[in-house]
Amino acid sequence: MFSRTQNIKLSPIKQIELLASKIPDVVSLAQGVPSFDTPEVIKKSAIKALSRGVVAKYSLTYGLPELRETIEQKLAEDGMYYDFEKEIIATAGSIEAIMATLIAIIEPKKNEIILFSPSYTSYAEAVKVAGGKPIFVNLIEGGLALSQSKGWRIDFKSLERKINSKTAAILFCNPNNPTGTIFPKEDLLKIAELAENKKFFILSDEVYKDFIYDFAFPSDGTAGRAFFSLAQIPELRKRVIRIFSLSKAYAMTGWRIGFMHSDEENIKEILKVHDSLVTCAPVISQYAAIAALDFGDKEIEKFRRQYQERRDLICRHLDDLKDFFSYQKPNSSYFIFPKLLPKRDSWQFALDLLEKAHVAVVPGIAFGPSGESHIRMSFGRSEKDINEAMRRIKKFFKHD
Amino acid sequence: MINFFKRIVQFKLKWFAKIYLWRTKPKVIVIAGTIGRHWIKEAVKEVLEDKNFLVRTNKKNFNAEIGLPLSILDLSSGKKSFWQWLKILWLAFKKVAVFSKIKLSPNYLVLEMAINAPENMNYLTSIVKPDVVILTTITMIYAENFENLDEISREYGELAKVLSWNGILILNNDDLRIKELGKYFDGKVITFGFSDGSQYKAVSVSKIADGQKFKIEVKQKEKEILNVKINRFGQHHIYAELVRAIIKDNFSAEG
Repeated sequence: MFSRTQNIKLSPIKQIELLASKIPDVVSLAQGVPSFDTPEVIKKSAIKALSRGVVAKYSLTYGLPELRETIEQKLAEDGMYYDFEKEIIATAGSIEAIMATLIAIIEPKKNEIILFSPSYTSYAEAVKVAGGKPIFVNLIEGGLALSQSKGWRIDFKSLERKINSKTAAILFCNPNNPTGTIFPKEDLLKIAELAENKKFFILSDEVYKDFIYDFAFPSDGTAGRAFFSLAQIPELRKRVIRIFSLSKAYAMTGWRIGFMHSDEENIKEILKVHDSLVTCAPVISQYAAIAALDFGDKEIEKFRRQYQERRDLICRHLDDLKDFFSYQKPNSSYFIFPKLLPKRDSWQFALDLLEKAHVAVVPGIAFGPSGESHIRMSFGRSEKDINEAMRRIKKFFKHD
Repeated sequence: MINFFKRIVQFKLKWFAKIYLWRTKPKVIVIAGTIGRHWIKEAVKEVLEDKNFLVRTNKKNFNAEIGLPLSILDLSSGKKSFWQWLKILWLAFKKVAVFSKIKLSPNYLVLEMAINAPENMNYLTSIVKPDVVILTTITMIYAENFENLDEISREYGELAKVLSWNGILILNNDDLRIKELGKYFDGKVITFGFSDGSQYKAVSVSKIADGQKFKIEVKQKEKEILNVKINRFGQHHIYAELVRAIIKDNFSAEG
C-alpha cells in the first residue's frame, strides 16, 4: 500500500508552518508568500468576470484563448516567440506545470532529473511523485554570480559527471530559490550545450524573474526584460520548457495560476497530463491573469522596490549577527540563505528558533544536501515582521 | 450613481469622437474577430507607416464602448477617478471645439473592435464608419453572452453592412462564418487564408527552427508568388502577413 508515496515527504516548509501555527505570537519568515494583497485592478477584473457569469464552466484545456493571446504578446515583448494556440498552456500555478511536464517526460529508462542543491524544496518530491529519481548537483557558495558579487555558481564538473543516458531533464529555478541567484547567461548556454549533446530537456522555472535588484532598469516596470532566458533562443525551443507563475510577481499565490510554453511537439504531450490532472486552470484565475498581464507592470515595479528595501533591511540585521551568520547577498527573489556559524544541524536550529524565539525559518537541508547548515528567510514579509523576527533572533543568540 | 456617470461619459465621448472624425476625416480600418486582431493590427500599422502615412492604433483593451472613442481622441482612461474623467471630458472638448486647431491628425486610424454582447457592434458603428473592415475569425471566446457562434457572426455582419460603397471588406476565407459575411457587401471583397479560393493564399508553409516559411499566392495578379519568412510561430502570424500583403497592394503611398 502507498508504495509510491511512502518515500515522499511533506514539504519541510509546510511542516515548519504547521508547527509554527501551533505557537501563539509566532513570526514567520518561512513561507514564500508575499506580504501584499493582489492588486485592485486584478481583483476587480475577477469580480467582473464572476458577475458576468463566465467563470462557472471549464475553459479549453489549454486555457482561455484571450489569456493565451495575452501571454504570447507578453512573451514577445521579452523576445520569446510562441504560438498561443499550440504552444502555451495556462496551468494551476507553476507546480502543476512542473508535475505535468515531469510525468510527460519521465520514462522507465530515462528517469533521472538533475536538480541543483540548494534549490526549491518541492522539486525533489515532485520528481519522485512522477516516478523519477532526483540527482543533485551542488551549487558552489561564494562563486561569482551575475552581478560580480559573490554568489552561488553551478559546479559544472559535477554536473557533467552526473549526466548519463538516464538523464531525462534538468530542472532549475532561475532566479534560484532559496539563494536568490541569477544564473549567468554563459552558464545557461553551457547547460543548453550539454542538453543538446546528451538529449535531455531543460525545465526553466522563472517565477522570480520580475524581482531583480542592483541592475539599471527601465522606469516602466519592465524589470524582467533585463533577464536572459534560454526560451529566447529559437533553436532551443524543442529542448526548453519554460514555466512561469503569477503567484509571486502579482501577489496571487492563492489564485493558483501560471503558464508554460515550449515547442508544439512537447506541449501536445504535456497537455494530455495537464488535462488528466486539472482539466483546466481555474477559470476565474485565468480572467484575473489577463488583467494582471495587461495592467500589472506598475504594481510589479512597486513590489520590486519594496522587496529591494526589505532585502537591504534583512542584510543590515544579518550584518549585526556576523558571528552567527555569513551570507551571499541575493540579487533577486525575496529569499536570503544565510550560513550558520559555526556549522550546525539546520533542522535542529530551525526547531530551536521556533521553540525559543517564536520565529519560523526553513532549514537549509530542505533545499538539498548542500543546503545543510543554512536557513532560508523570506523578506517577502512586511518590514514590521522582518524587524520583529530579527529582534527575536538577536535576543535568541544572546541567551543561546 | 456610478452607472449614471458612466453613461454620461460614454455619451459625451461618443459625440466628441464623432466630431473629431468629422473634422479630421481619417481613413478608418477596423479589425474585428474574436482572436488574432492584435497581430493583424500591428502588420497593418507597419505597412501603412512604411508608406509614410501617419497612423494611430488603439491600445489593447481600448476597443469597446469607452475605449474606442478614447482611442479616436488619443486620450487615456480616467480609470476609477471621477476628477480624472472630468479632465478627460474637458480635454476631449478642447480637441474638437471649433476654436481649437487640430494638430497632426492621423491619415489612418487602425482600430481593433471587440464585442461581448449582442448590439455592441451597432453601438460601435454609430461612432465610427469604417472604410476598410478586416475580419479574422470567430471562436468561443465571447460566446458566453451570445446564444451561439452564429449570433456573434451576425454581429460582425453589421460591420460589413455599414461599409461605404468604395470601401474594402477583407475576410478570412478559412472561417466559414466570416466567409459568409461577404454577402452583406456589394463592394470590393478580398479574401485571405490557406483554403482554395482565397485571393491571398498561403501555401508551402513550413516550420523552421526560428520561425515559419511560406509563399503567398496572389490571385488578383496572375500567379504572383511572394516568398515570406517570419520569426513567429502559429497560423495567426501567417494571417497577419497575408493581410500585410493585401494592404501593401491596395493602398498607394503618401507623398
